[in-house]
Amino acid sequence: MQPSPVDIQHYLLLAALLFCIGVFGVLVRRNALVVFMSIELMLNAANLTFLAFARDRLDDAGHLAALFVIAVAAAEAAIGLAIIIAMFRNRGTVNMEDIRTMKY
Amino acid sequence: MPPIPNLTAADFLPLWPAVVLSLAGMVLLLSEVFLKATEREGESVRTYQAVFTVGAAVLAGGLALSLTFEPARAVFLAFAVLDPFSSFITAVACLGLALTALLSDGFLRQRQAERGEFYALLLFATAGMSLLALSNELIMLFVSLEVMSISTYALAAYLRRGPRPTEAGFKYFILGAFSSALFLYGAALLYSASGTTHLAGLASELGRIFADPSSDRRLVVYCGMALVAAGLAFKVAAVPFHMWAPDVYEGAPTPVTALMSVGVKAASFAALVRVFLAIGRHVEPQVPVLLFSTLAILTMVLGNLLALPQRNVKRMLAYSSISHAGYLLVGVTALFVPQARAGLPGVTVLAAGTRADQADALRAILFYLLTYTVTAVGAFGVVGALERREDETRGFGWDVDRFSGLAQRRPGWAVAMAAFMLSLGGIPPLAGFMGKLLVFRAAVDSGLLMLVVVGVLTSAVGAYYYLRVVVYMFMRPPPEQATLAPHQWGTEVALAVTAAAVVLLGVAPGLVTRWLGPAGHLFGQ
Repeated sequence: MQPSPVDIQHYLLLAALLFCIGVFGVLVRRNALVVFMSIELMLNAANLTFLAFARDRLDDAGHLAALFVIAVAAAEAAIGLAIIIAMFRNRGTVNMEDIRTMKY
Repeated sequence: MPPIPNLTAADFLPLWPAVVLSLAGMVLLLSEVFLKATEREGESVRTYQAVFTVGAAVLAGGLALSLTFEPARAVFLAFAVLDPFSSFITAVACLGLALTALLSDGFLRQRQAERGEFYALLLFATAGMSLLALSNELIMLFVSLEVMSISTYALAAYLRRGPRPTEAGFKYFILGAFSSALFLYGAALLYSASGTTHLAGLASELGRIFADPSSDRRLVVYCGMALVAAGLAFKVAAVPFHMWAPDVYEGAPTPVTALMSVGVKAASFAALVRVFLAIGRHVEPQVPVLLFSTLAILTMVLGNLLALPQRNVKRMLAYSSISHAGYLLVGVTALFVPQARAGLPGVTVLAAGTRADQADALRAILFYLLTYTVTAVGAFGVVGALERREDETRGFGWDVDRFSGLAQRRPGWAVAMAAFMLSLGGIPPLAGFMGKLLVFRAAVDSGLLMLVVVGVLTSAVGAYYYLRVVVYMFMRPPPEQATLAPHQWGTEVALAVTAAAVVLLGVAPGLVTRWLGPAGHLFGQ
């Protein structure tokens, strides 16, 4: 039996899977850093989708999109980690369950 | 390989407000480096930052207003558009920025936290709003959205020594980044269905997909649309994507809260309208109507009901901000009705001859955003002026008791706050009433009677919690040993301007509405 070639649908399925894992991680995990990693996973799922189509159709827009997303994700990581560090200094924890001074 | 395009000076025209704002931000950041040596010399050194920011905001806003006279056209290879709608949104954002900078001066001085980066971040966030309003391509939308959001995350956590601001910044960051990721994956799905990220190309490609009944790409389009809608609904704080808003609005420094509730909201609504007018007209017509009317009803009802039990005025204003997003969504829903009226859910077909006008709905949304901007910034300004630093850690700095007897202690503030509260509640003849009137009229013309009935009933509910603040100010005795913050010129100017605008926009809305005429059409729609 011939192994089937890796075509665009495999990339898209992988991206969808990564996105779902990311959403699941954001909704379920309680450690701020893990939640942050899950968000990065979602961004990369979008990147993979852009790139798969850009290669499939020989269209530059998808490549361009991925580059911009990487730059934006780096900026977001810089701010996000700074905020998480500030919070850790204030409270000594990065567990989301413990972060609820304000409610209702 | 396409040839390298020749950009002309005319292409750069719509970017001028954003350029002015970003340059001003960079100047402030650089001046901070050189000012360190003279830091201890005196207090007055630092006021120039607020003045400089106000100047930049006025310049950028003036440029944006002058751009509204330009004919609408696409620029930068259709990555961006120059149309009166985007220029007005930029002007509203600049107005919000100028008022916020005035409020920030006194607020930061009380906390010894006056640093140039605060104002620089305000300027960068506003530049992002301006770019967001004129983006006409999904990736440019995403980048502008992030320029705006990332600056705002940092601003929310600006007073980083206190537990509340960091918590607010953290929650805003996690949920904001999450919603940006939802938006981006939605954009990727729309790209994969249509092969383009330009909104105009996307619209024509969607038209082709939906004209072909056997197309298998509809599901992908709907998934992408839902994710893009969810991402933007987070940014405008529409129920059920609102859960971050009360905590973030409460914890963030009050001037930042003011900018978040007006500028971020206005720019996000502009993006929402632009994206959905491009993709919403080619899908089955009941889908956008159903989507936005559901969001609108949920947001109006829950926003108002959750605000009812709040004794914390800042948190009450956060829920009020959510409910106002609901009224704006009524206007957005009205945009999608004219395309096909019969058989749409919740649409009552009125007598023949009433013509639903998309342009009226767009103008109503713009006017509403303007009235909400002046009212909400004013209300948050009074809250911030009454705040004391030592209350923040204990958390009852914003209890409605703080407003007791304000009419005797600070009659000017009390009258201004009463005007803001009545305007938020939609009581004539103030600005908020005219805004609601225009939005609801556009919705009635489109036959969205049920939405309007829900809107009117929920604003009646809203009157209760707005009037409670007024009652406390005018009918309760002042507390015994209450100390008030000293007068700050910036706060006083901002409150005077917003109070005057609230009355003026309510009494003579024609001053503004006649300028809004050309803003009724988005370019290419």
